Amino acid sequence: MTAAAAMVRVEGLCKRFSVPRREAGLRAALRALVRREYRVVEAVRDLEFSLAPGERVGFLGPNGAGKTTTLKMLAGLIVPSAGRVEVAGFTPSDRRPEFLRRVSLVMGQKRQLSWDLPAIDNFEFNRVVYEIDPVHYKRRLEELTALLDVGEVMRRPVRQLSLGERMKCELVAALLHGPQVLFLDEPTIGLDVSMQLGIREFIRRYNAEHGATVILTSHYMEDVAALCPRILVIDGGRLRFDGSIEALRRQIRPLRRVSVRAAALPDDPTAMGRVVLREGGRLVLDVAPERVPEVVGALVALPEAQDLAVHDAPLEEVMRALFGREEAADLGGAIGHAR
Amino acid sequence: MSQRAGQLARVTAAVWRISLAEAIAYRVSMLMWVLTTTFPLVSLALWSGLAASGPVGDYARPDFVAYFVAAFLIRQFTASWVVWELSGQIRSGDLNTLLMRPMSPMLYHAIQNLAALPIRCALALPIGGVVLALAGGLAWPNPGSLAALALSLALAWLLNLGVHVSIGCLAFWVTESTALFEVWLGLYLVLSGAAVPTSLYPAGLAEVVRALPFHASLGFPVELAIGRATGAAVTHGLALQALWVAAFGALAAVLWRRGVRAYEGVGT
Repeated sequence: MTAAAAMVRVEGLCKRFSVPRREAGLRAALRALVRREYRVVEAVRDLEFSLAPGERVGFLGPNGAGKTTTLKMLAGLIVPSAGRVEVAGFTPSDRRPEFLRRVSLVMGQKRQLSWDLPAIDNFEFNRVVYEIDPVHYKRRLEELTALLDVGEVMRRPVRQLSLGERMKCELVAALLHGPQVLFLDEPTIGLDVSMQLGIREFIRRYNAEHGATVILTSHYMEDVAALCPRILVIDGGRLRFDGSIEALRRQIRPLRRVSVRAAALPDDPTAMGRVVLREGGRLVLDVAPERVPEVVGALVALPEAQDLAVHDAPLEEVMRALFGREEAADLGGAIGHAR
Repeated sequence: MSQRAGQLARVTAAVWRISLAEAIAYRVSMLMWVLTTTFPLVSLALWSGLAASGPVGDYARPDFVAYFVAAFLIRQFTASWVVWELSGQIRSGDLNTLLMRPMSPMLYHAIQNLAALPIRCALALPIGGVVLALAGGLAWPNPGSLAALALSLALAWLLNLGVHVSIGCLAFWVTESTALFEVWLGLYLVLSGAAVPTSLYPAGLAEVVRALPFHASLGFPVELAIGRATGAAVTHGLALQALWVAAFGALAAVLWRRGVRAYEGVGT
């Protein structure tokens, strides 16, 4: 990817916050009145990456890892302490109207629509503010409301809508002006599974049809796995991994899970790999990737062998390992680029 | 250039429409607000009682009625509440929504404020009328030059807005910006002419008080409305208002610009 073609370019990006610090208790509270002590928190350290137009990228990381801070710097809401950010050819923190018209931010935990008005009034307001051509607006509104099925919903005051209905309306409002870059901060938080699936499907379709770059943060690994061919793992404010979800999975849990059912099991399966389960006629092993063909061959040869399967480690396990502090170090200092 | 002006007019109209719709949705709380800002009417009861036995300074009883009814109405016409909105938005992170729009958040606040004024006026005018009827059915004395009054009201509104934005922006750095505003409000009640016409302050003190922004935001337009400011006093008062507007406008602009750069976009 050449630098000129990048939609998002981040170089040496840092964000430091100074937060007041005091011990618990009344005495400390009184002391803090006189002399406030500050502690510098490095929320984001030396980030470096670039995204091509039309990419769907997920930011993964535990709470407080710096995902949302990074997203807010990309959206121009907060000013970096050091480094460079360029989005669609603009420096986001300048907040030029030309830039703001090319991007959109949807926050699952914040409503952006006016509470007491129907969503359609909010849409109309956006039409004017974003200078959307009326013909274009009409077409886009029809398309989005049909895709998200909010034709009726958008005429009721926002406060009467369910969380899922409201989120759909938020998405319509965010997309009416046809942003080139869409920032999504926890867009499916609190939604039920079918609504999550609906929103996910919509975002994928929108990206495919309009070629917008999508940048997503989510606590739901499923969201990220289903939506984003590319993952950036941010932890402790640093970029720990950049690649596909498969590559991430294999890096954290390199062993393949091989399972089989047979009339008789081998006497010493530990020679093949780590035994996860051995019960009745069923055997589950974690096997090193290079030994998989050999082990599969041996298992197929077992009497009445059936249901032979080879899997990557389950996503939840990867997630636990990724977000569990002590194991997170397994990623090592080197950033994976296994895309 | 005219294209930009056209877009500005369209955005202004759109904010106006949406804010008016919101103000109508909040009409009951708006009425409560009008009722809680009837402080000049309380002063009216007090001072017209005192003036029953003879004029206080150059204010006879009917003069007090005219003065405080005008004060009540002008306060409604020039009211601002941006400090509450802005400091709340900064603390909660709701400011994010305004910052992501390709329009100035300050313009948005200003128009939103302006759009609610007609509703406030519609609610306040009958109250003013009732008080005038009960207190003796007095019509306002000669309102002087209407143009000067209109200009003075606009300046008073701008001044209030500038103060509100300035103090509201402090929320970028401190959590207690609304408490600071309470301090301002305390001074305002005493020094603006809401509790007592500033011309009744003792000589020496009166001159100082009448030069402060508090008087510029209420006392002066009231005196203009009831015909107590005439001739050179009109020009002088308008100039003083303009000066305070420029001062607080500049302060608000600086604090806003710096604040946005210090903003931490709290909340997700």
